[in-house]
Amino acid sequence: MTYRKLGIVFASALAMAATGAIAQDVPREDTLIIDIDRTIRDPGNFNWFTPGVKRQHGAHQLMWEPLFILNYETGEIEPWLATGFEANADNTEWTISLRDGVTWSDGEAFNADDVVFTVNMVLGNEDLTEREAAQLRGQVASIEKVDDLTVTMTLNAANPRFVLEVFSNRIFGSFLIMPEHIWADQDPASFAFAEPIGTGPYTLSSIATNRAIWDRNDDWWGAQTGFEDLPAPQRVIFLESGGEENRAQLIATNQMDVAHSVSLGTFEAIGFQNPNVISWKSELPYAWPDPCARQMEFNTTVAPWDNANMRRAVSILIDRQQIANVAYEGTTEPSRSMFVQYGGMEPFISAIEAAGYGVSATGQVDEATALIEGEGWAKNGDGIFEKDGVELEANIHVNSASAEYTRTIDVIVEQLNRAGIKARSVPVENSVFWGEVLPLGSYDISYSWLSCGSVNEPWASMGRYTNASVVPVGERSPGFNNTSRWDSEAAASYTAIVDEMGTLPLGAEGLTEMVVEAYQYLDAEKPFTPLVQAAKLIPMNTTYWTGWPTADNNYNHPAFWWGSAHHIIHNLEKAE
Amino acid sequence: MFGIPSSYLVNRLVTFLLTVFIAATLIWLIPRFSPVDPAEIMLGRMASGGAFVEGADDILMQLRERFGLDDPWYVQYGKYLWSIITFDFGVSVASFPTPVWTLIAQALPWTLGLMILSIIITFVIGNALGAFMVWERTPKPWKVVIPSMMIFTSIPPILSGLLLMWIFSVKLRWFPLTGSYGLTVEPGWTWEFIQSVLHHGFLPALSIVIVTFGFWTLGMRGLMISVQGEDYVTLAKAKGLKPRYVLYKYMVRNAILPQITAFALKVGLLVSGQILVERIFSYNGMGKLLYDAILDQDFAVIQGVSYIIILMTAMSVFIVDLLYPLIDPRIRHSEAAA
Repeated sequence: MTYRKLGIVFASALAMAATGAIAQDVPREDTLIIDIDRTIRDPGNFNWFTPGVKRQHGAHQLMWEPLFILNYETGEIEPWLATGFEANADNTEWTISLRDGVTWSDGEAFNADDVVFTVNMVLGNEDLTEREAAQLRGQVASIEKVDDLTVTMTLNAANPRFVLEVFSNRIFGSFLIMPEHIWADQDPASFAFAEPIGTGPYTLSSIATNRAIWDRNDDWWGAQTGFEDLPAPQRVIFLESGGEENRAQLIATNQMDVAHSVSLGTFEAIGFQNPNVISWKSELPYAWPDPCARQMEFNTTVAPWDNANMRRAVSILIDRQQIANVAYEGTTEPSRSMFVQYGGMEPFISAIEAAGYGVSATGQVDEATALIEGEGWAKNGDGIFEKDGVELEANIHVNSASAEYTRTIDVIVEQLNRAGIKARSVPVENSVFWGEVLPLGSYDISYSWLSCGSVNEPWASMGRYTNASVVPVGERSPGFNNTSRWDSEAAASYTAIVDEMGTLPLGAEGLTEMVVEAYQYLDAEKPFTPLVQAAKLIPMNTTYWTGWPTADNNYNHPAFWWGSAHHIIHNLEKAE
Repeated sequence: MFGIPSSYLVNRLVTFLLTVFIAATLIWLIPRFSPVDPAEIMLGRMASGGAFVEGADDILMQLRERFGLDDPWYVQYGKYLWSIITFDFGVSVASFPTPVWTLIAQALPWTLGLMILSIIITFVIGNALGAFMVWERTPKPWKVVIPSMMIFTSIPPILSGLLLMWIFSVKLRWFPLTGSYGLTVEPGWTWEFIQSVLHHGFLPALSIVIVTFGFWTLGMRGLMISVQGEDYVTLAKAKGLKPRYVLYKYMVRNAILPQITAFALKVGLLVSGQILVERIFSYNGMGKLLYDAILDQDFAVIQGVSYIIILMTAMSVFIVDLLYPLIDPRIRHSEAAA
C-alpha cells in the first residue's frame, strides 16, 4: 500500500481533525429531524450533476431552490425563483422571468447570468449524466440572456411542457441553477462544490456520512423581500435512520419528525407507542400514492400475448381490490386507468371511465373466460385452458428486490391459476430486471410502472406507448418507452392522436376528448394493464411540528425527499 | 530471519501471493458473468425512479466510455490488476465521481475500531471461559453458569442487535438507537467525540460479543480436554507445580494454537460477517458499505471491499503463519530439519 493511501486511511481515522464546531446548540423543539434512507457516501460532494446522495440530504429541500414547484393537488406550476414563463407560438422558444431580489447565501445576486451559465455548462459537458442534466441537454439547443431577470431558451424541438418537465420538480427534482461566481473555471464533472451555497433559507452547518445539519439563514432573501416568511425550524437535521425498524423506533420515541415509507404493521406499531404520528390519510389506506402506478406489461410480440383478446382477458379477470387488500394490506387503491389518481389527473380519469375504458376493481372471470374460449382455448381435465395440446401459460417476470412487487405478482398468479391460466412468477434480480428484462423485452409478461410520468397532464404517460419507440426484441427500448413493443394498426391510430396531443399546451381545449379518443385503442388492445396505485406510507410526527401535508391539508404532496419539500418546510409550525 | 527458516518463509509468501491473485481474479471474473454491465445498471436505476429517461442511448455510451467497458477484456483485466496493486479501484458508480478508495478509507477505521475490539474481547473472554470449563479448580457454580450462557450463541447477531436495541435504547434509553456518534457532535479528537463514539459503539459491539464468544468457548473447551490428558500435563502436576502455572503454561499455551489460526481467519471475515449489525445500527463501516454497494450494484465498490477483505484474511493468515514458529518451537525445528 502506498504511503499516500495509508495517509488517506489515517486521515479518515482522524476524520476529526476537521474542526468547524457546530455554531450553537438548538433546542429539540426548534429542530426538525428528517429521515434519509441512504448513506451520504461522499459528504464533501455537492455536485448534483453526477449520481449519488448529493441532493436529498437537505440540499435541494433547504439550500437550493427551484425555479418552479409543481403542485400535485392543484396541478398548477407555482413560481419560486422564477415569476413566470412564456412560449412562442410553436413552443420552440421559452422565456423565463426571474424573481427580483433573490440572492445567494454569500450575498451575491442571483440573476440571468447564473441561469445562462448553468445551462451552457450542461449543454457543453456530456459527462454530466444525472437525469435532469441529460434531460435539459436533450431538449435545449441554446440559451440567451435578455436582461438581468429574463432568459430565453431555444429548444431542439417544440415542447409545450418544457418548463413542467425540466424546471418544476415534476418527479423528485428539477434542474437546479448553480452560482456562476463559484462554478466558473471549475471542471463541472469533477468539481465537488465542497462548500456549497444556495439561495434557500438554510445553509450547511455540518455534514458526515450519516447526517447533514442545516441552520436557518435569518437573512434569507425571501423573508426580506416578503416572498415568504422565514420557516419555523431553526435547525433541520437529515439523519440516516437505517432500516425500517430503526426509523420506526426513532419516530415513536420523538427522535425523528418524519420518516420514509413504512409497512402498515410498522405504522400501526408506531401509532401504538406514539399517538402523535399521522400520515397522508387519517384512516386506511393511510398512504399517499407516489406518481408511478403499478401495472402489468405484455410482450405483444410473443404468443399468445400477441393476441389483443388474450391480453384483454387477463386484464379483465384481475381482481385489483384483492391486490390492494392482500399485497398492500389495504394501504392503496385499485387503479381506475393508467394514470396516478391525483387531483390534476381526475378530469382525464373520469372522462376515461365515463367512456367505458376504465379498469374494474374486481375481476370479471366469466367475461374473461368467454374471451379466451373465443380464441379457441378450452379447459382440460385439470381446469387449465388448453389449445392444440398446449396449456395456457403466463410467465410473469417480477423484480425480486421488494416484497411489494413479489407479493403483488403472487396474488395475480393465484387469480390467474384459479381462472384456468397456468401462471407462475419469475423473480429476477433488480439489475437484470431493469438492465435487461424490461429494456430488451426479454419477458412474456412483466410487472413494472413504465407508464409513470403524468401527474397533472396526460401526455407524459400516454406518450410512452407510441409506436415511434418500438424496437425489435433484443434491442434496447429508447428511454424504456413502449417496452411491450405495441405496434399494431390500433397503435398507429393511438400514436397519431397522442402525437397531436404532444403539440398542445397544458390545459388546451379539447385535450380531454383527445385523451378519451386515444385511450380507446389502449383499452381495446391492452399492451399493459393497470393494477393499483403505488403506496407511500409516510409517518409524520406532530409532537414538535404541525402543518404536515395531509389529504385534509393538501397544500402539496408529502414526499419530503423531493425538491418540492420547500412547501413543507414553509408550512410547518411549532406544536403548541 | 528472526528464527524463521527461509524455506518456510518463502513457502508462506508464495501461498499468500497466490491466494490474493486467484481471489482477486475471481472477484473480477464473477461480475462479468452478469448479463448486464454497470452502465446498464445505472441507466436502469434512472428508469426505475420513474418517467422517461431522455437521451438514454447517449447516457449509456458516456457511461461505458467512462468506465472503460468498451475495452477488450484483457485490457480491462490488465487495468484491474494494476488497480489492485496500486489500491486504485476506480470511481464509485453510485456515488460518482467519488473514488472507491475514499469510500473504503471512510469506512475502514469504523469497522476496524468496532470489530477488532469486539473480536478481541470475544476471543479473550471465550477462550478464558473455555479453559475454565475444563480446569478442575473452577468453582462448581461457574461450571453450570458458563454452559448455560451458550444459549446466546444460537441467536443471529441481527436479532441480538434488535433485542439489545429494544431493551437498552427504546425501553431504558441508555444507549442511542443509531449512528456512530452523536447527532450534533462534531468529529475531532475531543473528549466529547470519543465519549460519543464509545457510547454509540457499545451496543453494536455487545451484540457481536454475546453471540460469538460461545464459538471460542466451546472450541477451547474441546482442545483443553484433549490437552488435559497429555503426559506432560500429568508430569507437571506430579512435579508439584502450582495449578495456575500448569493451567497457563502447560494447558492453555498448547490448546490455544488452533484457536489462533481461527482468530486469523475471523479477522478477515469480520468485515463481511457483521454487515447486518452495521446495517441495523446504521454504523458506517465496511459491512454497511458492502451492503449498500450490493443494493446499488456498485461493482467497483463491491470489488474494492471484497479485495480488502481477501487481503486482510490472507494477510492475517500469513502473519499467524510467521508467528507459529515463534509460539510453537516444534514447527521451527521440523521445518529446519526438512
